[in-house]
Amino acid sequence: MVTTVGIDMGIQTVKVVVLKDRQVVARAKGFSGFEPTKAAEEVFVQALDAAKVAREEVSLVLSTGSGMDMAPYSNGTVSMMGADARAGVFLIPTARTVVDVGAEEARAVKCDERGIMMDFVVNERCAAGAGTFIEAMARALEVKMEEMGPLSLKAERASPINASCVIFGESDVVSLIHRQESKPEIARAVFDAMADRISSMVHRLGINPDVALVGGVAKDVGFIASLKRKLGLEILVPEYPEFVGALGAALTATSRAKGASK
Amino acid sequence: MKSQSAEKKYLPDMPQKEVEELNASVKAASERIMADNIERMKKTDPNRPAAMQYFDEVSNFFGMRQKEIQEAKAQGRKVIGYLCVFAPIELILAADAIPVRVNSGWYDTSKLGDRIVPVEVCPVIRSTIGAKMIDLSPYLELSDAVISTLTCDGQTKLSEILSDAKQMWIMTPPRVKDSAQSLHLWKEEIKAIKTQIEKLTGNKITPKKLKEAIETMQKATKAFRRLQDLRKGNPVIMGRDAMLVNQMSMWDDIKRWTKKTEALCDELEKRAEKNEWACPPDTPRVIVTGTPMFWPDNWKLPTLIEEATPQGILVGDELCSSDRVLYDPVGIDEWTMDDMINGIAERYLMASTCPCFTSKDGNEDRVNWLLNKVKDTKAQGVIYYVIRGCMLYAMEYSRVKKALDKVDIPVYYLDTEYTREDVGQMKTRVEAFLEMLSARVDF
Ligand code: SF4
Repeated sequence: MVTTVGIDMGIQTVKVVVLKDRQVVARAKGFSGFEPTKAAEEVFVQALDAAKVAREEVSLVLSTGSGMDMAPYSNGTVSMMGADARAGVFLIPTARTVVDVGAEEARAVKCDERGIMMDFVVNERCAAGAGTFIEAMARALEVKMEEMGPLSLKAERASPINASCVIFGESDVVSLIHRQESKPEIARAVFDAMADRISSMVHRLGINPDVALVGGVAKDVGFIASLKRKLGLEILVPEYPEFVGALGAALTATSRAKGASK
Repeated sequence: MKSQSAEKKYLPDMPQKEVEELNASVKAASERIMADNIERMKKTDPNRPAAMQYFDEVSNFFGMRQKEIQEAKAQGRKVIGYLCVFAPIELILAADAIPVRVNSGWYDTSKLGDRIVPVEVCPVIRSTIGAKMIDLSPYLELSDAVISTLTCDGQTKLSEILSDAKQMWIMTPPRVKDSAQSLHLWKEEIKAIKTQIEKLTGNKITPKKLKEAIETMQKATKAFRRLQDLRKGNPVIMGRDAMLVNQMSMWDDIKRWTKKTEALCDELEKRAEKNEWACPPDTPRVIVTGTPMFWPDNWKLPTLIEEATPQGILVGDELCSSDRVLYDPVGIDEWTMDDMINGIAERYLMASTCPCFTSKDGNEDRVNWLLNKVKDTKAQGVIYYVIRGCMLYAMEYSRVKKALDKVDIPVYYLDTEYTREDVGQMKTRVEAFLEMLSARVDF
């Protein structure tokens, strides 16, 4: 039996997945904070405890995510795109495009049936296509971030947000509020603007169904609905989408540990 | 500052003190970067060819080559700078002048260029302007005249801006190669430049002199191609090393450069016989194409590729700052003056794969050149490099991608700026791309 661990060092959160022979035995998550390495150590221990696995039993630890080089206990790294492809196809075997929307970055990966990435695009250093945009807009609307999605589903139509930049978007939202547009409609406009950016990114890659949506933002019902409309496709979301990066790293670790090249 | 006319149209009147201070600080930074680049190249290939030491030496902008040119100038020789590989080097050599390329690869000076042109302008252009503002580039400063070819809007306006400080000779290449008028027009441009060169140097370009110069360049081309051929097999040399050699051909004395390159090739051949490789033979093989990359700052992509985990090796490029520079020799049937001028005109126009061209069936030369290069070097992937503001290369991407898709060669569009700040982001992308290339082979 091979036990492996994947650590995803994200900008906002650290995620850890423990696998025993490609079966998930534990997941754990924590905020990255100012000392991501320390935070990751804690989450790592938490995950091993939950899995009832001793440190010595772990054959290989691989890290991924923007802070992958800061990961503790790591024996190597896997690119975020590689991890997305690997775990995306593992969870949704029909997926050939995996869209990952995280806190500050979004990417789309084209993959084959083995979960090998064949091509990828990354959004151009712009938070308007990622989770923090929803956060900023929720602030402007004075609602909780978790409420944005359900709120947007109540909208009958969308109010347009012109600029999808966080800063300009925020002032757009303010002017929409002044125009006394309803909150649900504004919330929907926010998701539409985001989905616009993500879908043009996916189009640049070439749409290759099935499309799986992963990453923290994949839990947002509002965003899923908007992206579905924009792409005109069913969007498949796995359970625990925010753990896909960590899972991909752990799966890669299993293959490497078994010597089956990667 | 040696300014052309008293009144400058573009360049600001900067206090001498500011110029000196900025010059000193950017120069110091540049010296550090040059040394660092070379250090890293040595570290990547601990068994780096001994012959590289010579090229390391010439690569110092503020070193022996600068002094040599200064001395030659003191003895009356003229220096002719150029901004683009359309400049006919043979004519410069035939008039006993010294050709030097003067595009800037300094990141820091692009910020100075922002004082004159908007940040949206191609950084190569902004950085060249900035270098002039603080008299940083020894080669630009030493140039008695600069040949500027109007290949894009950036180059066009750059010529105007530099004319505040330098005598600029403008060449307009036709934008369509396959029309009857084009070669004719271009031949006239070549003749006009010949006249300019003769006037400046006071040396007549005789058939005998021109023949000699063409032969000198043909020899250089041969050495150049020999090096490119050696990169087609198992990795005998890292890509950055080869790139440095290629770039130095634009600054060094070309006869000496040819000898040194031949010596390098001899060494590489011996290594190949002994199966001594610069990196493991199964290292993913990459080609880069797009906006030119200039020593020393704009060395970040090749560095990222060859220092990445997993590591990659640059086995060739399609850049007008490297593998394209000396690839094509002038072809001559009969050594008459007219035939030689014809040969030069054809070599600089028809063989060029600059994206500035268009034609009724599309500018196929560049795509074909790239496809051949991919095949020849057994490259597994292509990185399409564009610095923001460089429209020609950015706009040709989709076509190049389609052509590469057809032969199942993955290509990644990597856009960046003249800055070190995005190295982290670039690294993520380059590493993912290399990981993809290795996964494709050995899953
Ligand atoms: S790099 Fe591109 S935009 Fe810049 S000068 Fe060259 S062709 Fe023009």
